[in-house]
Parts: sequence; structure tokens; C-alpha cells
Amino acid sequence: MKRIFGSSILSSIAALAAATWLTTATVLAGDNPAPAPPPAAGAPGGPGLAVFAKKIVTGQYQGRAAVDNAVLLVKDGRIEAVAGCDEAAVPEDYEQLDLGPLWLSPGLIELHCHVACSFGRDHSETAYLANPGMRSSTLIVPEFIHLRNAVAGGVTTVLYIPGSATNMGGQGVLLRTGGKTYEEMLIRDPGSLKLAQAGNPERIGPWYSGRSFMNYNTRSVFRRGVNYAKRRKAAAEGKGEPVERDLMFDVFPHLLEGDTQVSTHTQIYQVVLMTLSMVRKEFGLPVYIDHGTFDGFVAAKLASDLDVPAILGPRQISRAYNFPGFSTIDHDGKLFGVAAEYQRRGHQKVGFNTDAVSFMGPGGPSQEELALQAAMGVRYGFRNTQAEAVQGVTIVPAMAAGLDDELGSLEVGKLADMIVTTGDPNDPRCCVEMVFQGGKKIYDTKTDMRRF
Amino acid sequence: MKPRPRSPRFRHTGTRASLAALILCVPIAPVAAQDGGAPAAGAPGGPGLAVVARKLLTAEFEGRTTVDNGVLLVRDGKIEAVGARGELTVPDGYEVLDLGGLWVAPGMIDLHCHVAGALSDLNDVVYLTNPGLRATPTITPGNPLMKTAVAGGVTSVLLIPGSGSNMGGHGILLRSGFGTFEENLLRDPGSLKLAQAGNPERRAPWFPGRAFMNYNTRGTFVRGLAYAAGFTAAEKNGTTAPAIDPQYEIFRHLADKRTQVSTHTQMYQVVMTTITMVRQELGLDVYIDHGTFDGYLAGELAEEADVPAILGPRQVYFRSTRTDGKIQGVAAGYEERGLRKIGFNTDSIGRRGIGQEELSLQAAMGVRYGYDNSDMGGVRGVTSVPALASGLAGRVGALTVGLEADLIVITGDPIDPRTSVEMVFQVGQKVYDAREGRRW
Repeated sequence: MKRIFGSSILSSIAALAAATWLTTATVLAGDNPAPAPPPAAGAPGGPGLAVFAKKIVTGQYQGRAAVDNAVLLVKDGRIEAVAGCDEAAVPEDYEQLDLGPLWLSPGLIELHCHVACSFGRDHSETAYLANPGMRSSTLIVPEFIHLRNAVAGGVTTVLYIPGSATNMGGQGVLLRTGGKTYEEMLIRDPGSLKLAQAGNPERIGPWYSGRSFMNYNTRSVFRRGVNYAKRRKAAAEGKGEPVERDLMFDVFPHLLEGDTQVSTHTQIYQVVLMTLSMVRKEFGLPVYIDHGTFDGFVAAKLASDLDVPAILGPRQISRAYNFPGFSTIDHDGKLFGVAAEYQRRGHQKVGFNTDAVSFMGPGGPSQEELALQAAMGVRYGFRNTQAEAVQGVTIVPAMAAGLDDELGSLEVGKLADMIVTTGDPNDPRCCVEMVFQGGKKIYDTKTDMRRF
Repeated sequence: MKPRPRSPRFRHTGTRASLAALILCVPIAPVAAQDGGAPAAGAPGGPGLAVVARKLLTAEFEGRTTVDNGVLLVRDGKIEAVGARGELTVPDGYEVLDLGGLWVAPGMIDLHCHVAGALSDLNDVVYLTNPGLRATPTITPGNPLMKTAVAGGVTSVLLIPGSGSNMGGHGILLRSGFGTFEENLLRDPGSLKLAQAGNPERRAPWFPGRAFMNYNTRGTFVRGLAYAAGFTAAEKNGTTAPAIDPQYEIFRHLADKRTQVSTHTQMYQVVMTTITMVRQELGLDVYIDHGTFDGYLAGELAEEADVPAILGPRQVYFRSTRTDGKIQGVAAGYEERGLRKIGFNTDSIGRRGIGQEELSLQAAMGVRYGYDNSDMGGVRGVTSVPALASGLAGRVGALTVGLEADLIVITGDPIDPRTSVEMVFQVGQKVYDAREGRRW
């Protein structure tokens, strides 16, 4: 998993670029330039940082949910220790940050983001019905207004993906929201292959496909892609003819090796079922349910058996009786909590997403609303006795996207992506006061403009 | 999942219906005898009920907002006493309902509801102003959306016409919990629904703009108030009353302050016009309803003119040109400008849109985006503030002696989405109990 995280070559290039820029700036600015400030405590290269909090919500998957009156040690951007105040020894030279009554939680992780770029036709290109070769990494706008609001809402990691106008919109990219450049933002590219089986791609004219044809077409693209990946692999191992590189299928070797996943915009029972039976069982690829809504929960047991995580939103309730042809359930106007229904059927990896699409105006969900999706999950019945709602926006999406070695919980060895809040991050009455990314403070309401 | 037993009050005999019709104007709903048995404790005609709870959110607009370890006495559908456990003695013969760790709050009030009736009939766009149309003929008591509303703690709603025209017609104030119109009626007309911009522009074939719509709306107001003045003058001078014109009847209620203008008004320009035209120029009781966008810029003027602002269903204003990319909370914006009467509404529009049970979430979003909740402002915004705005403050909206016992029993703060409603009482009668089958 290490290699996925910012290759050392890339970091060196970034460092070199920064150094070059600094040199140039120095020359232009004339004599006696101010030396670059030393790295802050907790940041890479800086001294250690000890953070004291009333409560640390660890985000740990099926482990201890929280530690009261706790301290967390950060050194070189990574977490060194998490313990009760009276258990841990704080090294003398560590800077101390006492948060008083505030809580500390992992940075939130969003696996369905559309706002890391200028939203427009770039983002949902409909060249073919399946476009596995297109990359969203070509569109990123660092420090975009929605990303800044995302940080202020505690969201530190996003999977930026193409829209669902086609069955395969292209490759998503996993990003840090706080970075000032693409290099600083990049976590992994390809972050996913975006699949959307139904609900939107039908709109492509002139033929307006139905689910059967779309499924046939999608399956055949998967088949070709997987074959391509196998042949490339065999050729690399000297076991077959050389295979010319095909940009359209370049993501498939990553999928076959398991270093990226299929993120599937899949909501209705029938297509959730196809996600499980086709992508996971037939092709054996890593996949998760993304943008899970409606009555998809009817397939929850199967999803659980196949270990396919379910990331749900932006609609946390099913009023399925209003969608003739969608509904597989019959009820007397009762509301079903989507997350609660997945959980009730034994699914253990339930997470939440926003589908942030808001651009310069009220419209769709916005990126800072991620915690609210989890809150709505709880309101409509999702069990939250062990902070499962926080896990649903931290460790569960981290596991789904293969980031859990590095992110998603406050555990020793992981990157120090942390948020400081006035209480439970899922409680809308609470607010985010500070955000750290890789041990570096990137938002502080005391010094930065409070964004809401 | 066990089906929810059908409550006896959803059944009624013809006799009871006619009885109910006879006493239509009596504020307390007729006694619902349970399967021929005696009325339950707390219900009209029944013995007293003492509700013991960890916390009572009294939610008074000016007064105490909470009582810890409280007791609430209910008799004949009304609140008889509210106090701390040590100070208040429970009279002999009262049934005690000990809620343990649960909280009790007043039932919530939504002043922008479209789901208590048949929505398809609710937007009759005959003219640009239709002050004579009534929401009353569209009522569907106990419909599934309203049952879900009750499960979300919403006990009173103002059912209003849509905003397809500048005046959609009369709203009607209703209880949510019962199965007949007579039991649910709080007040008719509940309001005159005004919508100044944002939707009526769609009206074909001429697609009016704001200046014409304002001219036309003002004209209707002036004619309506002249009509009302004709009756006042006739009464004063002992002359024959003018002929009744159903189109303008509501203006007599407005002129006598027996109802209010509920104004779907969101952008600064039309909020300002609501205050300057309806309140200052015409002198009518009016409140901002469905307040969103940058209407908060008129917050100071609203306070000066005592115009409450009921906000929703969008609690944020997000236009970077005005806010430097910051997300401005709408309620926070009004509050920063000194407005004291700030409430929340849903604009519930049915199965595909916002649900009626989401009222408390609107308040939650107000708080998330900066509205001060240190003294339970969020809860007051869905209880006592809408009660004040709609002239119901003497009947519902707080846990105050003499008010109707509309109560919700909940696991914590009603505006915290992590809590859930466990029971709902209306006029002292239990209308929802999650133990008998949850709606979600």
C-alpha cells in the first residue's frame, strides 16, 4: 500500500519545484530574504506535538470508539500515541496543545465528491457510454472555494469522480482537501473507476438506452479491460506476446492488482445486485457501493457476504413507495432509513457520502455536509452506540478505498488528519474549530475566517 | 414489524361527527372515548395526568426555557402545572407517567406545510391574486405524510396554497394528530398566503415581473381593505352591511387582526416589500415565511416593525460574491441584525420533496450555520416563535399553564437528529407511541 502514497520521486519533484520557486523569489526580492519558517510542531520535520482533548473519537473499526480525557502525540505528520492523559508520558520537548473541552476526531473522508474542479461539461463528458480511460485528475482546482468549505466542515479527504452521465465516467482521484497544489493534494491516482449503472446514463441521446443494454455494454467493457490487464501482466512476466498500451483500458491493471477499486454509483436494488454479482463475483474486482440510496438495502446481506462496503447518500431515507418500478418493498407510508436497513441486515461496513455538486449557489448537497449525511443516517435508525456514525465517514470509507493503512482513524502510525470539534462531529449543533492534515494545521477558526 | 394498531380516534360514528360539527368553534377537540371506555388520563373528560421527565423544555419565548427533573400536570387536555419535582405535588387521583431519562417538549409548529391536504388541488392559479380560495376543501386528515409528521413531533401545521400566484388563498391552521377535520381544526382562515416573487413569474402567458406583480398585489390589498372598511363603517353607522364578496372576505379577518398574512418571501427586495407594504403601509399582521437567501439583510427593519421571520427550507445563503465564499446562515444573518422572533419551517411538499417530519432538522441547520442555541433558541424557533407569529401563542407552542397539552416525548434535544421521538400527545391525548410501531 505504501507505494500508493505519494511516490518518493513525486515528493522530490515537488520539493525541487518548491526550492526553485523559493530561489527565484529570493532573487527577485533582493537581499536579506526572510528565512522560511521552521515546520510547526507535529508537521513533517518539526518538533513533536501533544494534543490534549476532552474526548478522542478514534474512528477505529470495531475497536475502542473513544478515549476520554486523552492525549494524542504527533511527530513528523504521523500519530505516535493515543492514550488517556494519565497513561501516556509526553516527551519534554513536545509542544502542548490543550483543547480543553473540545473533542478530537479523524478527518472525514468523502468518496463521492464532484466539486474539486470547475463543475461543467469537463466533468461529465459523454464521449461513449463507457469511458474508462478519462481521468478526473486533469481537472483539479486546488483551494477551490468548495474545498475550503469542505475543510471547514472537517472533510480532509475526497474521492473526486466524474458524473454519472455515462456508465463509466472515467477514473476518480483521491485528494487531500487542504493542499495548495495538485502535488500536495494527491493521495492516489487512479482513485477509482467510476461506474454508474442506472438512474442517469439513460439520458444520453439519441438512443436512450435501457438497463439491459447498458448492462450488456458495461459487462463487455469490463471483460475487455480485464482481458487486457491479464495479457499485459502475462507479457510483463515474459509469458506472452507484447501487448500495446491502450489508454482506454489503462485503469484495469490497477483494478486487477487491487490497488484501486470500482466506485459504483448504485442505488436501486437491481443495480446494487448487478454491482455485487457482476463486478465482484463475475470479474472478481474490488468494488464498493457508492451513492447508495433507495431500496438498495434489500441486497445488504449479499453485499455483506461478499464484503462489499456500502457508502450511502445523499438521501438517507427511502420512500420507495413513490417510485413505481423502483420499489421492491411494500409499506404503509413508513420511512426506511437506508443505513439502518443495511445495518439491520447484518452489514458491518456502512459509510456515508454527499454527492457534493453544489456550484456557486444553492442546489445540490455541498461538500461540508458530509457529517450531516451520517447524522441523517442516525436519525433514521442507524445504530450509533459505538460512534458508528463517525466511523461511517472515516474508517469505513478509508477501508472501502484502500486507504486504511494511512488514514481513517486516530491510530498509531497513521497520518495525523484530525479535526477539533465542540462535540460529536455528527451533531449539527457542534462546529469544527481546527483541522490538521498530515500533522499540519490547515484551518483554525481563531485565526482564519470562520467559513460558517 | 408489528402493524400499528389503528387508534380508536380514527374511527367515529355519524353521531359523533355531527356533534363535532356542532361544536366546530370550540378550541378543544371533542372527547375521544376509547372503545367505549372512559377517556384516558390527561384527555378531555379524563382524570389528571402527571408526566415526570428528566427535562422539560418549556420553550417560552420570554421566560424559562427548561426545567430539570420536572413534573407536568395535564387535565382536560390542558397544561395545569409545570414545575420541578421537589416543588410540585401530584394531586391524588392523577395517573403518573414516569419517563425516566426522557425529555418533554412542546409539539412543534410548522407554518409552511403543503401536505395536510391534496397537493394537486392546492395551487389553483386562476388569477394572479386569489384571496378567496381556501385550503380547507383539500384537507386529508391522517394521511400517511401527516402520520409521519406526528412521529417527527410536528403537532400543528399551517396548510397553505402553493406559490404559483401572488395570493394563493387562505391557509388553515390544523392539528396533525387526529383523523377528522373537526378534531384537527385550529383556525380557519389560518392566514392569507402571499408570495411576492420566485414562483408566480412562471404564470403563462405573460410571465409577469416583480414591478407589475407588486402593483397588482397592492391593488388587491387596497380593494380588500376597502371592502373590510365598508363593514366596519356599516356597523358603526347602523347602516346595511355591504354584500358579501367571497373573494375579499378574508380582509375582514385581517383588518380585525384575527389572522395574518403569511408571506413566502425570500430575497432582500421582497422581504423589504413585505415589511414596508404589508406591515407599515397597510398595517396588517404579517410574518416572513419560507425566508431564505439574502432576506436577512432586512433583519433590522423586521425587528423594528415587529415582523417575525420563519425560515426555511434552505438555511444557508451561499453566493461568494456577497459573502467572500463564506457560507452565511440565514437565521444567523437575521439574528446578527437584531431580529428576536426567528423561527423555522419546512415547505413540506410531499413524497419527493421535503418531508413534514423534517421540521426540527431545519432548526438544527439554523444552529449548525451559526444561530445561537445557548438558550434553546432552536426549539423555540419551532414552537413558541411560530405560535406567536400565527396568533396561536395563547393556545399552543410552549409548556405553559393553560395551553393545550401538545407534548412530545423525546430521547434528548429535539433538534439533535441523533435523538428520536418516543411519544406524542395532542390536547392531552396520546396520538403516537413508538413502542406500538415506529414510522421510521
